[in-house]
Amino acid sequence: MTSPLDDLARRLPGLRLLTEPGDLEHYGRDWTRRWTPAPLAIALPATPEEVQGIVRWANEHRVAVVPSGGRTGLSGGAVAAHGELVLSLERMNRVLGFDPADRTLTVQPGMPLEAVQAAARGHGLVYPVDFAARGSCSIGGNIATNAGGIRVIRYGNTREWIAGLKVVAGNGELLELNRGLVKNSSGYDFRQLMIGSEGTLGIVVEATLKLADPPPPAQTMLLALPDMDAVLAVFGLFRERLALQAFEFFTDVALRHVLAHGAQRALDGDHPYYVVAEFDAPDEVARDAALAVLGEGMEQGWIVDGTIAQSEAQAAALWRLREGITESLAPHKPYKNDVSVRIGAVPAFLHAMQALLAREYPQFEVVWFGHIGDGNLHINVLKPADLADADFIAQCEQVTKRLAATLKEHGGSISAEHGIGLVKRPYLDSTRSAAEIALMRGVRRVFDPNGILNPGKLFADD
Amino acid sequence: MKILVGYKRVVDYNVRIQVKPDGTGVVTDGVKLSANPFDDIALEEALRLREKGAADEVVVVGIGPADLTAHLRNGLAMGANRAIHVVTDEAVQPLTAARTLLKLVEKEQPGLVILGKQAIDDDANQTGQMLAALWDRPQATFASKVEIADGKAAVTREVDAGLEVIEAELPAVITTDLRLNEPRFIKLPDIMKAKSKPIDAIEFASLGVESHDHLKTTHYAAPPKRSKGVMVKDAAELVAALKQKGLL
Repeated sequence: MTSPLDDLARRLPGLRLLTEPGDLEHYGRDWTRRWTPAPLAIALPATPEEVQGIVRWANEHRVAVVPSGGRTGLSGGAVAAHGELVLSLERMNRVLGFDPADRTLTVQPGMPLEAVQAAARGHGLVYPVDFAARGSCSIGGNIATNAGGIRVIRYGNTREWIAGLKVVAGNGELLELNRGLVKNSSGYDFRQLMIGSEGTLGIVVEATLKLADPPPPAQTMLLALPDMDAVLAVFGLFRERLALQAFEFFTDVALRHVLAHGAQRALDGDHPYYVVAEFDAPDEVARDAALAVLGEGMEQGWIVDGTIAQSEAQAAALWRLREGITESLAPHKPYKNDVSVRIGAVPAFLHAMQALLAREYPQFEVVWFGHIGDGNLHINVLKPADLADADFIAQCEQVTKRLAATLKEHGGSISAEHGIGLVKRPYLDSTRSAAEIALMRGVRRVFDPNGILNPGKLFADD
Repeated sequence: MKILVGYKRVVDYNVRIQVKPDGTGVVTDGVKLSANPFDDIALEEALRLREKGAADEVVVVGIGPADLTAHLRNGLAMGANRAIHVVTDEAVQPLTAARTLLKLVEKEQPGLVILGKQAIDDDANQTGQMLAALWDRPQATFASKVEIADGKAAVTREVDAGLEVIEAELPAVITTDLRLNEPRFIKLPDIMKAKSKPIDAIEFASLGVESHDHLKTTHYAAPPKRSKGVMVKDAAELVAALKQKGLL
């Protein structure tokens, strides 16, 4: 009897398959390091037909399939640790078309976000979703996690920018969802259902993206602040008076790690909190108005020090202080929390969280950073060098239970933009009700009756 | 000692330059404009010399239209004591710029003029040298290190064979290379303070500078796009293709 893999190779003779141990490890994991990669093989389809062929084969042989993009995920959503076939979309990485009337760009799912952004700029427009992993993450992965990032306060999440999707559902059907329509009131919008489904319903094989006008020239600033209340006060002030494109905060601990990782220091002295903000500054009037606002912030004592980038190179150096955090923390095997609450609930939640962490994590280094402007906080707990991985995670999980309870009280979400994956699976019920989760399972059965797509992610299998 | 610093405004280094469709220039509308990077380095060096006590006043000079004021304010926020704005709507070529600077040098009597070795818009790399000749003072170009002592500037230059150190009697002209220093970030309180620092506006016409342009730009064009590569099936086809192109 032939093995399932031999059968796959026979059915799709042109399909590229990898089985070398190095490849299995490389494609079997994302940026999490908690699981040992152990996929069956790696398939690198080049066409939607090959994707469809793989999914049909997987249904016949009941082989689990892990869809795979840039694998920059932080929740284990792209981990293959149980003999799954990894279906990497990295060879499907081309622009398929630009429509100037619709102002849409149609791309294959394996395109890195940065390449999508460059292609949009080539047409004088922008694809505005943006975050630090832009060079490695793929647009397909962005769609699977409804990725957010650093421009959400201006542009929203990935969900807002998807005009249409072609998807191979878990049952092997090729679906054409919404076809780029702006208005389409014809029943359930499966396109939106696919966005954020973490590869459990279907595999995106083509995406039509909306594009926007380029924003006006911006100014980027770095501010030093005395405490969290000042961060919130300054955000309130800016939101009212400036046309904000981004408002990101981080702590002195985060800054220390980024500087140790080679970033350029921009402000002297040590301050507890920092903000990188970007606002529209099309002309002198706007820049003067911004200075007046900054002056008010300083008078109030909310802003202790700050700088405004004088060139794009300086702006990039300031952004590196924020965007370099995740990478600079990686050697410390951080336990990551990516939580959100309503913007209005941020102050109360923050105070509750700070008290909780001071009480529960006194022995650990905790790094705070995040988006504030959209209610999204990243709380990274760093592993002490002398603590075993398993013990560290076990201790963190205990605290996550309390964090999840606090979130529930404040009506927040256990995963703001990273996805549930494997990491947050035990806490899904802090954010979604039992009735909702039951419906989610039901939806999954409709699209993927045999449960072959990314099983074990989002929720445990029945 | 007083230091005069040339402070030109150019399209930001990180902006992808686009040629106007009619070929009369490059697009600057809605494009980020910043200080010429070499001029930022020049200003940074002047400020460091002042901080070390080698100078007591730093004056930034700009030649350009009325809205150049905002750019000069950045120079003041970075730390210059005052600014001189030579107001003209015409684009200024290196010789005219050098002659203009000479007029200011005669008026201000600086002990040192620091300029960028070139501006990244026209890449002329001429103004500093021309000014030194017109002024009849020493020049130390492409500086990667500057030390001032006993009325002399010891300037390290990066040359093909390594490092060359030259000594110039002050007053002199120094032009900056990329590795001289890393310009500072401007602090918010200094931006506020810069609002009250003086900017002297001087009409270009009032300086009596001879300004007929020696160079005329006839046309701007973007570099030709690289044509797409061709896939060949095997080595034989590759060899044939190379032969056909006369490369083998």
